[in-house]
Amino acid sequence: HSVCYNRNSIYHFIDRAEKPHTVCRQLNSTLWLNVGGRSIHSSAVCCKNRAARIRVGKGDRPVTYEQALHPHQIAHRKGWLSQHTSNLQGEDGAADRTVEDLFIRRLIYGTFHGCLADELVIKRRGNLLVICALMLQKLPPHKYYFLVGYTEELLSHFYKCPVKMEIQMLEEKSVYKYL
Amino acid sequence: AVISSILFSGSAEEIVIPRKKTWYGIAVLQALASTVNRDPTASHYVFQDDSYLTPRTSAEFKLYSLAQESGRTAAKYFINTYPKYFQKDFANPHIPCLMPETLELQVNEVSEAALIERIQLRKVKAAVDMYDQLLQAGTPVSLDLTNDLLDLISLYGDCDPARGDAPDKSLKPNRENNNAERIFNMMPERNRRSYGALIRGMVKHGAYSKAFNTYTDLLNNRLTGDVHIFNALISAAPEVREKYVEKWDLIVDLLKQMAEQKVKPTLLTFNAVLKALRRCGSLGRTQAFPVINEMKALGIAPSLATYDHVLGIFYKAATSAQGHTEILQDVLSEISGKSFTAQDPDDVEFFKDAMRICLATKDIEQAYRVHSLLGVGENWKLLGDSYYQSIYYGRFFNLLCMMEHIDVVLKWYKELIPSLYYPNSQGMRDLLQALDTDNRLDLIPQIWKDIKRMGHDNKTELVEEMLSLMARENQIPEVQQSFADCALDVKALYTQTDRRVPLSWSAGSLSSITSILLAAERTQQAWEMLKLFKLANRVPSESLMNQFLESVKASNNAQQAVELVQISASFCLSITPNLMERVQQEFDLTEEQRNTLSDLESSTAMSD
Repeated sequence: HSVCYNRNSIYHFIDRAEKPHTVCRQLNSTLWLNVGGRSIHSSAVCCKNRAARIRVGKGDRPVTYEQALHPHQIAHRKGWLSQHTSNLQGEDGAADRTVEDLFIRRLIYGTFHGCLADELVIKRRGNLLVICALMLQKLPPHKYYFLVGYTEELLSHFYKCPVKMEIQMLEEKSVYKYL
Repeated sequence: AVISSILFSGSAEEIVIPRKKTWYGIAVLQALASTVNRDPTASHYVFQDDSYLTPRTSAEFKLYSLAQESGRTAAKYFINTYPKYFQKDFANPHIPCLMPETLELQVNEVSEAALIERIQLRKVKAAVDMYDQLLQAGTPVSLDLTNDLLDLISLYGDCDPARGDAPDKSLKPNRENNNAERIFNMMPERNRRSYGALIRGMVKHGAYSKAFNTYTDLLNNRLTGDVHIFNALISAAPEVREKYVEKWDLIVDLLKQMAEQKVKPTLLTFNAVLKALRRCGSLGRTQAFPVINEMKALGIAPSLATYDHVLGIFYKAATSAQGHTEILQDVLSEISGKSFTAQDPDDVEFFKDAMRICLATKDIEQAYRVHSLLGVGENWKLLGDSYYQSIYYGRFFNLLCMMEHIDVVLKWYKELIPSLYYPNSQGMRDLLQALDTDNRLDLIPQIWKDIKRMGHDNKTELVEEMLSLMARENQIPEVQQSFADCALDVKALYTQTDRRVPLSWSAGSLSSITSILLAAERTQQAWEMLKLFKLANRVPSESLMNQFLESVKASNNAQQAVELVQISASFCLSITPNLMERVQQEFDLTEEQRNTLSDLESSTAMSD
């Protein structure tokens, strides 16, 4: 899955909430023109009127608040999943932050497999990277602490900055409505 | 008074929302002030702030913190095994602790650089092997490097340090210095450092007389000792002499030699002297203060270990406080308001030993002073690891329960538990005793919730004591009802089999629960309890039977009265004839009931 870091066409990562499973579907349709050379990689197109929107269906699919509200509701009824200052005027590093976020989301999705109740919220305060996660009470607490210690240490060494995880536990996924 | 009102309002089941709330003028300031100090409702900072992930017992505390540490160790393993993924250095300025470490040996050819590397990585066996290979190859090894090697071997006792958090505590005195002595004897020239490494290693690993012999060798080779050698020898002195006087004479002799050889004593020297004086009996008491005065004359500030040794000299475990009670007060007066740093490994013993003395002398005032010392500056760091902390707080809480009024005890209870200390079942029993002393048994249901949360609900003695306290007297109706609810909750523990082994009934616990239920007029449930007696093979007491009779009389149920006599007969209680008589006299019985009773009477009479 190191493919995603080499992509030049990352425009559609920026203005929607990243979802690991939808990204993976797109990766399957990536066209490799020239492996090892410098070439254009293009993915299947995801139009902005279809990105991050769960369409109304039969009414049996539970969705969380975050999934139910569409991206135009960000800053109206929704907050941001990734908070950093590189999108401000005169700041740089937005692309790097986005790629880091993606990596972190995949790492945690896999490390805490089946335990995440909702998307991660990643906040950057100065040098500190705070990963806020909502988790289900699937594992006994000492296993969570093991995984938290492991993730914090691994990510700190990987990104050369202190990484902290703040977890809140839920009994089950909080359903906002059924679509 | 505040606590009881909170408890009672909870049982009222009615929440009245006021139309308007007026605040005091300084309410904001009070709210802000409450955030400044430690938050007693929060768990330890290493844990996540979530109720599912907060440890509730000391076992969970240890489990979760160790789990987190082992997660970190697992990550470090991956980082150090595959360092190429972690080499990219974004951080500006560079952060060295976030780079992968090289723990594997890089230099493999036989050379001094290889030996240096092995010493730095603390690989004792590999270092010794490399040294031997170097000598075999004929390469001379410099004196400093050989001294480093000797230091390494002496420190780790000739075996590799255990990889993990628990250090290998089993010191093996026999084979420990074979390598060190062998290398020492092979050295073409030795200096004071070499002798020092050997002597300190011998003292650390228990070869005391060998240490003194090596010191004699040092002197015979016309070398002088240094402060580390003398500190080690002083601490070894009590081991090589039997009588108190001889021990002290040896120490004085060493100190004189130290002066002759112009070695300046340090804090650790004086602490070693005081520690040795703890083993010199009454001689310690006479010599302790001269030593301290000498220390102050030299301008060396005492550390907490110094005071710990002084307390250890004057407060021996066997003797109770006889005229030495002023020492603790004097020590506390001297150190109050001072902030200490860690200078001696024995510094961490001070707080728990001071609290032990306060507990033994039942001196709550000094205990408060010790506790306030903990709040000064950096002194909290010298409280020790979680084990020492639990000992300290356990003793403190024990003393509080013994000596203070229940309101003060409960205030400290909220403050200390469970954020700082998880009491064991003995601690909870002390708290129950304190409740009993000050006649606040109405708080027992609240304490029972805490006992369950802390996982002490499987301790039979604690549960039975709590039940007997609740059953002892009748209470006012609301309290009695809350006791009855609590008793039913306890009963569930004895009967449930889903999660873990249930407690086993005893006559005491059965009787207590039954009498609590009777006093709360839950007669139906009390009758069910009587059946449990038979199942558990326990015999109800006579007072319980009388209590039953009283309650049956209150409800005037003749049938139940007859059943009661039948049950009493089935247990072959000696009170049965008495009961029978009372029932016949005090109740209006039908013909059938009278017949039943007379049958019983004759059957018991026949069995006599």
